[in-house]
Amino acid sequence: MIAKASQILGTNARSIDYLKPLNKKKGRQIANSKLLTKKYLTKAGLPTPQLLAVFRTPREVEEFNWLSLPDNFVLKPASGLGGEGVIIIKKRAKYAGEWHLMDDSIINTADLKQRVLDILAGRHSLHNLPDRAMIEERIKIAKVFRKYAFQGTPDIRVIVFNKVPVMAMLRLPTAQSKGKANLHQGAVGVGVDIATGITTDGIHKGNFIRYIPGTKRKVNGLKLPHWHKILTLAVKAQEAVPSLGFMGVDIVFDKKHGPVILELNNQPGLEIQNANRSPLKKRLERIVGLKVRDAENGVNIGKTLFAERFTDRVMAEEGVKTVKVWETVKIRSADKKKIEVKAKIDTGAWRTSIDRQLAEELDLLRSDNVLWSKIYKSGLGVERREVIGLTFYLAGRKIETIASVSDRGHLRAPVIIGRKDLGGFMVKPRQ
Amino acid sequence: MNVFQPLITQAIAQGVSEETIVLLLLLPLVASLVAAARHLVGFRGFGILIPMAIAVTFVATGIATGMLVFLTILTIATLIRRFLEKFRLHYLPRMALLLWFVSLGILGLILAAPFLRLGPLTTISIFPIVILILMAEEFIAVQIRKSFREAANLTMETIILAFLGYLVFSLNCLRNFALNYPLWVVLIPFFFNLWVGRFTGLRLLEYWRFRKILR
Repeated sequence: MIAKASQILGTNARSIDYLKPLNKKKGRQIANSKLLTKKYLTKAGLPTPQLLAVFRTPREVEEFNWLSLPDNFVLKPASGLGGEGVIIIKKRAKYAGEWHLMDDSIINTADLKQRVLDILAGRHSLHNLPDRAMIEERIKIAKVFRKYAFQGTPDIRVIVFNKVPVMAMLRLPTAQSKGKANLHQGAVGVGVDIATGITTDGIHKGNFIRYIPGTKRKVNGLKLPHWHKILTLAVKAQEAVPSLGFMGVDIVFDKKHGPVILELNNQPGLEIQNANRSPLKKRLERIVGLKVRDAENGVNIGKTLFAERFTDRVMAEEGVKTVKVWETVKIRSADKKKIEVKAKIDTGAWRTSIDRQLAEELDLLRSDNVLWSKIYKSGLGVERREVIGLTFYLAGRKIETIASVSDRGHLRAPVIIGRKDLGGFMVKPRQ
Repeated sequence: MNVFQPLITQAIAQGVSEETIVLLLLLPLVASLVAAARHLVGFRGFGILIPMAIAVTFVATGIATGMLVFLTILTIATLIRRFLEKFRLHYLPRMALLLWFVSLGILGLILAAPFLRLGPLTTISIFPIVILILMAEEFIAVQIRKSFREAANLTMETIILAFLGYLVFSLNCLRNFALNYPLWVVLIPFFFNLWVGRFTGLRLLEYWRFRKILR
């Protein structure tokens, strides 16, 4: 997607328009401490990795029985930034008190103790303030990712704003990032279509990539499992910490337990725009002020509004299709039946719209399909218009979009199709 | 309009150092330069203090000497940090040891100066040197937290900013402008920063960063 500069979220706008007004001190504190994050998420009933140990003082480090740890685990500073200071233990080594790191090098108890003491002294925390260290279970990599990630567990970053998942990115550890999923440590960022959970484009160290570095594996076309659940979890994380109005939620995918929330970010990075080749500010501005009822509603709004339009790819494969002003389209009803109706192709309209009576007949006005409603004032008085999710077929192409509901009973066609959904089509003005 | 200017002329006549007045007048201008480099250009930098402190020391020592001392300090600190890594020391004692090496290194440089024909170094005042030595901690702290490459980038940006600051402080035309039109030199940074402070557009380097989605 090609955007104007004003549609891209830059560091300045992120700070002044989003972080300052939306992310309160309380929320920043929660996000900056992985221990606090865990507390709030657990209270809301959301899954996080299991906590095995917490160190507050050097004495606790001395007294800790390191041999009581499981075969693999992760050592983290509670307030570390960007994955710094994280040590991932792969398995026990031959001798007691020694472990293998993800690159198979060996670390012993003395090394680990020193790392914990460094963390307590604030080596990885902001302004070197004293910190706590924590040990968590290591998330095992799910099978789908095994060929994509190097020595680590990929995570999924979802940006949530106003309870709507706005943009998402899969972060794949590489050899360079030492198994960590942080982009500036050298991990690969892959854009993900919000509607389907299918990966699109990639970015690595500021370079736009189509293949995972060092492999012949394409970055696009991977379908992330449990996508709906991942988005729902992300929105629920914001419901659990409402003092962060604009947050990044990092979700890992455990082999056994499915999606688990790893951490919250009160200042999510902007590189996600490059991974998705899509401008974030444009998306954020579309959902400012929307009243989102609950997580389900928020996820539906995100999915329908920000669905990747694969028109470029479709056009490359099928070429441009020609449609006439009056077309017959098939609309998918709530029970997945296709109903033929007459539609007007209206390049004067932006959004597609559908007659209220027809929408009702197809049961499209049920509450989980209504994304939001707006009050319009016109010459006819005050009118309430819903915006709903709509799937229809035009000239053999499936189009998933949003449509506004209005009374069109007196007009020739119960459906008009707007410009927004006409990418890849050519309109023939005379029949 | 120019109520300021006669006061300044008078103060200088009374024996106030011209250097003091010029530096005080130009200080906010250099600070604005650092702020603009962050928000309009996209330099990440080390905040305002460090590039400015280095710029001021460059003014005091001269650019060549200042640069030599600064680069010596950076090199010693970087090498010694790697060396000290092996000893598993607490952070503060480790930094103190690092400064031990840096101080002795600079002492060595000054003692060797007459033999190496580094004339200006023998007469250098101690305070700029101390400031530069203390800066070493900040640079090393960044090296510890970030990758070497990132730390090198940040350091490079800081040197560029310090150099620009040095230019502002020492260019004769700017110095004269400050003495002749002090009100302007004071007001321009004031309003400029109000504007930069609310600027929400893309930074110059971000146009490059997001080039694939732009146009």
